[in-house]
Amino acid sequence: MMLRTGLISLGVAAFWGIGAYASTALVLKAELSFWFALPAAAIITGMLAWAIGYLVVRNPGFGFLILTSIIGMLIGLVFGNIKWLGGFTGIEYIPSPDPFVIPFWGLIPFTSKIPYYFLMLALFLVVVLSFWALYNSSTGRAWMAIGLNPHLAESIGVNVFKYRIIAFILASAAAGLEGSFYAHYIGSINPNAFNIFKTINVHIYAILGGTGSAFLGPIIGSLIMTFAPESLRIAKEIEPILTGALLILLMIFLPGGILGIFDLRQHIWKPFAGNARIPQWIKKLLLSAE
Amino acid sequence: MRGVRLEVRDLSKFFGGLSAVSHLDLDIFDSEILGVIGPNGAGKTTLFNVISGFYSPSRGKVVFDGHDITGLKAHQVAQAGISRTFQISNLFMSLSALSNVFTCHHMSYRTGMWKRFLHTSSAIEEEERLRQSALEILEFMGLDDLKNEPAGKLTHGQQKALSICMALATNPKLLLLDEPVTGMNPAEIQTILNLISRIRSRGMTIAIVEHNMQAVMNLCDRIIVLNHGQKIAEGLHKEIIENQEVIEAYLGKEEEE
Repeated sequence: MMLRTGLISLGVAAFWGIGAYASTALVLKAELSFWFALPAAAIITGMLAWAIGYLVVRNPGFGFLILTSIIGMLIGLVFGNIKWLGGFTGIEYIPSPDPFVIPFWGLIPFTSKIPYYFLMLALFLVVVLSFWALYNSSTGRAWMAIGLNPHLAESIGVNVFKYRIIAFILASAAAGLEGSFYAHYIGSINPNAFNIFKTINVHIYAILGGTGSAFLGPIIGSLIMTFAPESLRIAKEIEPILTGALLILLMIFLPGGILGIFDLRQHIWKPFAGNARIPQWIKKLLLSAE
Repeated sequence: MRGVRLEVRDLSKFFGGLSAVSHLDLDIFDSEILGVIGPNGAGKTTLFNVISGFYSPSRGKVVFDGHDITGLKAHQVAQAGISRTFQISNLFMSLSALSNVFTCHHMSYRTGMWKRFLHTSSAIEEEERLRQSALEILEFMGLDDLKNEPAGKLTHGQQKALSICMALATNPKLLLLDEPVTGMNPAEIQTILNLISRIRSRGMTIAIVEHNMQAVMNLCDRIIVLNHGQKIAEGLHKEIIENQEVIEAYLGKEEEE
């Protein structure tokens, strides 16, 4: 999402952690319900991102990269040094979400993994649908303009700073929402879980899948990155090496990510088949740029 | 006397110790085409960059339609109604020509933020209307056949024309064109010049920085000559070509040694 506005944030995991800690604190210390803490965590994360964004978004490019990575590295230390939040050992026994009543259906207790799955699915849909709506509105076009050409965006009246802040807030709030879910799903949190490597993984998902598409890219990327290491388990010790090698090969041969294959195919086909093109509906699905 | 669109008073811009523009006074009148010429490094583009908010002036004042716009940011100047094109083709290269113009309608949305987010029927209608108006601008500039081509694949001349379309899409009151015909062949130049006069005939005020003398002489109502950041001449084109100082600036002083 931030990639769209031409900024790479290395602080995603930090906001994920802030969401997780905020939600845990609300449930354990303030004894509020999970169903209140979940959106509250997103809002708290978003507000923090607003404050932080004012400081870091002013320096686009390299400065932003460094500043967000500092935030990403500091966050673990910050949480670790707050005794009230469990210090470096973290917090255990975070209660699972309260049972939930769906009308005409019955009580949904969070005892097995299935309700979690559906909750995650619902959150995922909420986030994806909201971002889809944004990408296809003037806000999304302003983001795209900034990402493609910030100077030109300014000269057509786009407040580059404002739109970058908005993107930063929304991306962080989404991360906070996921963080809240994560804390209550795993049942424990500790500061080391939110280090910068988590962020780098997130970016690998997006870049591997293809940065040309706002949604399908990250989704395909994360599917592959979740299943590929699993299927390479046969050689457990060298699994990270294999994954790494695979990534490097992909970067070299498919700089556009997995979705870049479609573009490649277009190039190869063109001279032979003349007008061979991807069918319009697939194109529409793939390119949320328009 | 026609109204003054833009007033520049005692404007200076320094880069370190170097003054790119110094003590410049300049008026742009309503619905005129003003040409700004001068040798390389005379400060013409710097002048445009200061007016359009990309640089803030070191001293002096810029007043547009009675509002002081000195030191405003580029997007605020654009919102005030000044639109510009760039010397090098500055487009969203990967987008189609139509999307380029459509994206430039950024300031034209009137429906509320939430309506746009929720894609209510009024927001969708508005988008359709703006897309239509983007298409009309392309038609006006004779680019409608190329609307689905990616901007990066257009010829140099088409890209320049497209960038004028994009500047028009922001509904400006003043259009600043930075070298609109540089690097084109004579046929392309003629097309662009015709288009610029057509834009003016709709009541637009235009200022042009250009190296192509013939184009400037044919097109502009009034010409200002800059040299070393200072105005050395101002007037109709006949007065300019006969001006001794201008000839010296371009050809050098005659010295007897």
